[in-house]
Amino acid sequence: MELPKLTGRLGLRARITLAFAIGALLLSALLSATTWALTRENLLTQREAAAETIVYQNARSVRTRITSSTGTDEILTMLSNLPAPFGSRPIVYSGTYTPLTPEFGQDALPASLREVVLAGQPARMRYEYRGQTQLAVGVPLPAVDAAYFEIISLDDLESTLEALAISLVGASLITTIAGAALGSWASRRALRPLSGVSNAALALAQGELDTRLEVNEDPDLRPISESFNQMARSLQDRIERDARFASDVSHELRSPLMTLAASVEVMANQRDELPERAQAALDLMVLDVNRFHQLVEDLLEISRFDAGVVHLELDDVHLAELVMQAVTHTSDVDVPVHLDAELAGVVVRADKRRIVRVIANLLDNAAKYGGGATSVSLTQVEGGVQLAVEDRGPGVPPEDRELIFERFSRGVTAGRRGSSDGVGLGLSLVAEHVRLHGGRVWVEDRLDGEEGARFVVELPVEEHP
Amino acid sequence: MGTRILAVEDDERIRAAVKLALEDEGWAVSEASTGEEALEAFQQDPVDVVLIDIMLPGIDGFEVCRAIRRSSDVPIVMVTARADTHDVVAGLEAGADDYLTKPFAPKELSARIRALLRRARSLDSGSPHLRFGDLEILPDEGVVRRAGREVHLTKTEFRLLVELAQSPGRVFSREVLLERIWEHGYFGDGRLVDVHIRRLRTKVEADPANPRHVVTVRGLGYKLQA
Repeated sequence: MELPKLTGRLGLRARITLAFAIGALLLSALLSATTWALTRENLLTQREAAAETIVYQNARSVRTRITSSTGTDEILTMLSNLPAPFGSRPIVYSGTYTPLTPEFGQDALPASLREVVLAGQPARMRYEYRGQTQLAVGVPLPAVDAAYFEIISLDDLESTLEALAISLVGASLITTIAGAALGSWASRRALRPLSGVSNAALALAQGELDTRLEVNEDPDLRPISESFNQMARSLQDRIERDARFASDVSHELRSPLMTLAASVEVMANQRDELPERAQAALDLMVLDVNRFHQLVEDLLEISRFDAGVVHLELDDVHLAELVMQAVTHTSDVDVPVHLDAELAGVVVRADKRRIVRVIANLLDNAAKYGGGATSVSLTQVEGGVQLAVEDRGPGVPPEDRELIFERFSRGVTAGRRGSSDGVGLGLSLVAEHVRLHGGRVWVEDRLDGEEGARFVVELPVEEHP
Repeated sequence: MGTRILAVEDDERIRAAVKLALEDEGWAVSEASTGEEALEAFQQDPVDVVLIDIMLPGIDGFEVCRAIRRSSDVPIVMVTARADTHDVVAGLEAGADDYLTKPFAPKELSARIRALLRRARSLDSGSPHLRFGDLEILPDEGVVRRAGREVHLTKTEFRLLVELAQSPGRVFSREVLLERIWEHGYFGDGRLVDVHIRRLRTKVEADPANPRHVVTVRGLGYKLQA
């Protein structure tokens, strides 16, 4: 399966969020620009129309009072009396230009406008002067051989438009953020079923084989959950079939094993009457029937764990005594046992048979691969007890320390351990028994620094009331 | 006349091999392959020990065990498939004295049978009569009376009662009882003791749910009192 390239790529959620944000930004920018342009045109046109009306009124009033002989002072007085609601600056032309305010004189009027007006055409024009938008309106007054101009500043409109532009940019930004938020929410919502799938897959991987997805009502998502569940079902079926097969096989092996064991024993009883070569063959058979026996028993135990039908047969167990008895009965050689004094009378709830198997398997492991156990100790630790078995073997290299508790893991270090006795199930059974008791098992180096392995079983203890 | 054993097992080859192994011990072995055959054989010719596999076609091992128990206290060894299931307790409650789990070594089987035979032999004579309230035990005669009426115990139940009765008030741990009655040693299955104590109570107690004589000492074991 091809893995996605991760470098420089955004996740699906980030991409959806980004797309929503960009979309919102473009849309709101377009709307804002249009709004601004339309509003501007509208405002200016209205202002121009209003201004023009007043300019014509003023022009009429100038025409009635002006003659070719009217002096400049009179004109100025007349101009200053005219209504100027938009702060306009009037200019009268009668041979020369007479502005009310000197800064807005002939030069302030665009030349083209002057030409048109002086040629007898009323006109208006929007233009830039002194860094501000201005409107100039000119009305020819042919009856008195003059012309009337007004320059009206549109700058207050520009500041209104500027304020509008700022609010529009702000609105666009808010829209963009809202778009991003919507995108993020939508993507999370759309991807939520995927996180359900991911959790379920994780649960399956951790061995919860009956994990299923809730079948979704949504027609788009239904196929995913259905096919996922189908996959989980067939996976579970296959794993259970494998476990059942192992269990069936080991059950089927018991009958021939019983026959073999009994027959070999009958032959062993008559061993002395057999020819020498037959005796040697018989000895081999006895040994391997025993090995076969142990293997079948271990397989049966393992298949019970796999079938999930195991339960603890809990009993009041005198732990220190059990350890002493187990060591004495399962080991051929004398192994020193160190017991914590506080543990002398402690009675715990445990499955006696399983604890005995744990001790026996650890001692057996030490005998086969560690040159025999050198010591067994039982110590009290926080919340439980630790049972440790030390040997004088080569130890277990750190990289094998977990692997060694897997089934048939003997192969890992078999080269060095070089024994054909074991079948590699003993330690994995130890791990299963211990886990069933809620404890844990591990292997480490010997505490005294000597060469050898130290297997430690830690069991939680609820002291018996 | 030597010891006779009835082996009830449906697998022909296992039956033949077990028969050979047991005959090596000097015992006479008769065979049955089904529950029906076993009951018929036992009725016609009662043996000293019966070995029953629980998994039998037709009438199963539990039923055969119960049927034999209705008329006999012959020692019975059950063969179960698994040690950690209800099978063991069910087999013991059906009346078995001991059990083995397949696959077992024939040596183990003969050891169990020898222990059962020792238990079945009567006790040394000269033991005094023992009295615990309404309970009367006559070790020599192998008789137990409750309120004057004789109760029927299997050999194992009887030995268990006598063991407890000979040290009145002493608490016996299950390990000790397993060692002394079943000769299993420390690693025997405590359920053997528990189920036999339960069976014993149904016979010697007026109210088995609230035993007065055979009492449990929690965490330690059992004792007998008046």
